[in-house]
Amino acid sequence: MITVKNLHHSYSRDEKYAVKDVSFEIEKGEIFGFLGPSGAGKSTTQGVLSGLLQLQKGEVTVAGYNVKHIKNKMFNEIGMSFEISNVYNKMTAKENLNFYRKLFDVETREPEDLLEMVGLGDKGNIKAGDFSKGMKHRLTFARSMINNPSIWFLDEPTTGLDPAIAATIKDIIWKEKKKEVTTFLTTHNMHIADELCDRVGFIVDGELILIDSPKNLKLQYGEKFVDIEFVKDGEPIKESLSTIDDKDKARIKNIIDNYEIQTMHTKEATLEEIFIKVTGRGLV
Amino acid sequence: MKLWYSFTKELKLASKSFYFYIEIVMAIIILAVVLFAIPENFSNSRTEYLYLDMPEAAKTVFINTLLDEDTDGQAESVDVKVKKEILSATFYESDDKKIYIVDDEDTLIKLTEAKKQLGAVIEMNETGDIHYKYYLQGYETQRLQNLYMVIHNNDMLTLETAINAQDVRPLSDDYEVFNDREHTIPAMLTFNGSLMGMFIIAAFIFLDKEQGIIKAYAVTASAVWQYLMSKTLVLTITSIITTLIITIPVMGLRPNYPLMLLFLITTGFFASTVGLLVSGYFRSMTKAFNVLYLLIIFTMLPAIAYFIPSWEPVWIKFIPSYHIIHGFKEVIVKNGDTAYVLLASLGFLMAGALMFIWSNHRHKKNLTA
Ligand SMILES: Nc1ncnc2c1ncn2[C@@H]1O[C@H](COP(=O)(O)OP(=O)(O)OP(=O)(O)O)[C@@H](O)[C@H]1O
Ligand SMILES: [Mg+2]
Repeated sequence: MITVKNLHHSYSRDEKYAVKDVSFEIEKGEIFGFLGPSGAGKSTTQGVLSGLLQLQKGEVTVAGYNVKHIKNKMFNEIGMSFEISNVYNKMTAKENLNFYRKLFDVETREPEDLLEMVGLGDKGNIKAGDFSKGMKHRLTFARSMINNPSIWFLDEPTTGLDPAIAATIKDIIWKEKKKEVTTFLTTHNMHIADELCDRVGFIVDGELILIDSPKNLKLQYGEKFVDIEFVKDGEPIKESLSTIDDKDKARIKNIIDNYEIQTMHTKEATLEEIFIKVTGRGLV
Repeated sequence: MKLWYSFTKELKLASKSFYFYIEIVMAIIILAVVLFAIPENFSNSRTEYLYLDMPEAAKTVFINTLLDEDTDGQAESVDVKVKKEILSATFYESDDKKIYIVDDEDTLIKLTEAKKQLGAVIEMNETGDIHYKYYLQGYETQRLQNLYMVIHNNDMLTLETAINAQDVRPLSDDYEVFNDREHTIPAMLTFNGSLMGMFIIAAFIFLDKEQGIIKAYAVTASAVWQYLMSKTLVLTITSIITTLIITIPVMGLRPNYPLMLLFLITTGFFASTVGLLVSGYFRSMTKAFNVLYLLIIFTMLPAIAYFIPSWEPVWIKFIPSYHIIHGFKEVIVKNGDTAYVLLASLGFLMAGALMFIWSNHRHKKNLTA
């Protein structure tokens, strides 16, 4: 449903690429997670894919449309939830959705239903300008579903939401997946990525370093980790160390020999730990 | 259809916005200024003070002509009070003039000075040569002064050639067509109606940019040009409203309203596309401010020229607002130059269309900025 070949993008239109030689494909009905630290080029990639940024170099097709020559029609099949919410502050939640639905040529969903889904069912008549940040974000998310998109771009859909609501959003994405919706998901939230994504891509400094399913990644990098809590100079300290890495192993030994251990248990590597291991970079 | 939805939504949003009311309030302030602060100064009862320095026989002939035109056919003896002094004069009133005839040049000077009106000494010697001496106020334009000179101090042949060579465009002192109050209207309409649109549309777009609205619009099956056009339409509506707020009370039914509407739409469209274009090149109002400020100065120049007829360099005609002001003038004046207005409308429409295409292109390329 989405194919990207050798995508480059430079905001300054020179050799300083924000996205460099990125290639991947996303199958119909797949949820593809794009993971990377801040400034890695996630939103830039999504911008090009959704036609917000001009395609400068490379080839991109979305739902069979060549993104080089965008047709408005294409957007009937696309839904997009923005990283920074962008709704009309002067209109109520319902007015926002009611206006937005008129901009599509295809059948659209009922604003009430969508608001209900994201937990704003009783807030439909409140001006979006009076919403909290999280509420606006949910409204932006709800809006992205209004045209029943078959391709869905989600830029940080759970950022800034409390865990309960983030879980609701996760469930919604899960439900949409059952309808064969193809989803391109950008997130910092590794739990969400882990639970939802069929495959994830790691992007750092504009370069896509690896693509695989969370399951494969865990198998491949599936070494055990130990969480150790100990007391040093009267201060409690917590560390997470690999049981395979030599340096980490030495460190574990050192801790056991020298400090008072409070708790210590092994666990499976998280996606975040794998990311750090593979890219040598943190996720923030 | 989507354009219609966007338009009605923009209209609704605009009606809730601060800028919309600024525009309306501005129109009302302008109306108040025009109605209460600018004297009407009706030209069709212009006042003149005359001293006839001529033989008695010639004087009688002159006075008889005045009496013929006089509304009641009678001369009135009046006393005019000037700074504690009582000056006597004979008063004649015709449809378009009030004439006071005084008995000596000294009185004439005093009256002219005190009443801030035109004074003239008409001299005729024994051989029948007429000589005019004008007392002006000092602020008359060079053109007006030249005109008096041409009319009265040259022989008839030169006069005729001179008149034929006169620019037919009405001068500000051409009070046959406008009173002072009406004279200010074209400039007011230009600024409040057409050019305010330029700034307000830019302000609206920057407001939307701040909220990321254009991005959201760009990922719908509706085109960006429809978004831009709906803004333009809203601005056109507001400029029509504000223009009517000013013109109807001041001018009544005299202006050619259909023509005015056409001119308002085309110039408003043009001005909005300038605003659209500017907003396509900057991220925020603050960043665009320098350019907008220069545009204000630039578009003000023709207004200055309009109020000071003696200053009208040729290049000023290349500034679009020159033609907006003069177009409006032709629209509201009786027997205005319709062809000029139509031509200017066509010009603004075409220029606006080009600017619109350009700004659409620009905005589409710059959606995430
Ligand atoms: N409009 C812009 N103009 C110029 N440079 C930009 C623009 N937007 C992003 N960049 C640069 O491009 C690079 C990639 O940014 P991008 O927004 O794609 O990162 P991201 O992975 O989405 O980060 P985050 O997790 O913070 O959202 C960064 O170096 C950023 O500074
Ligand atoms: Mg981002």
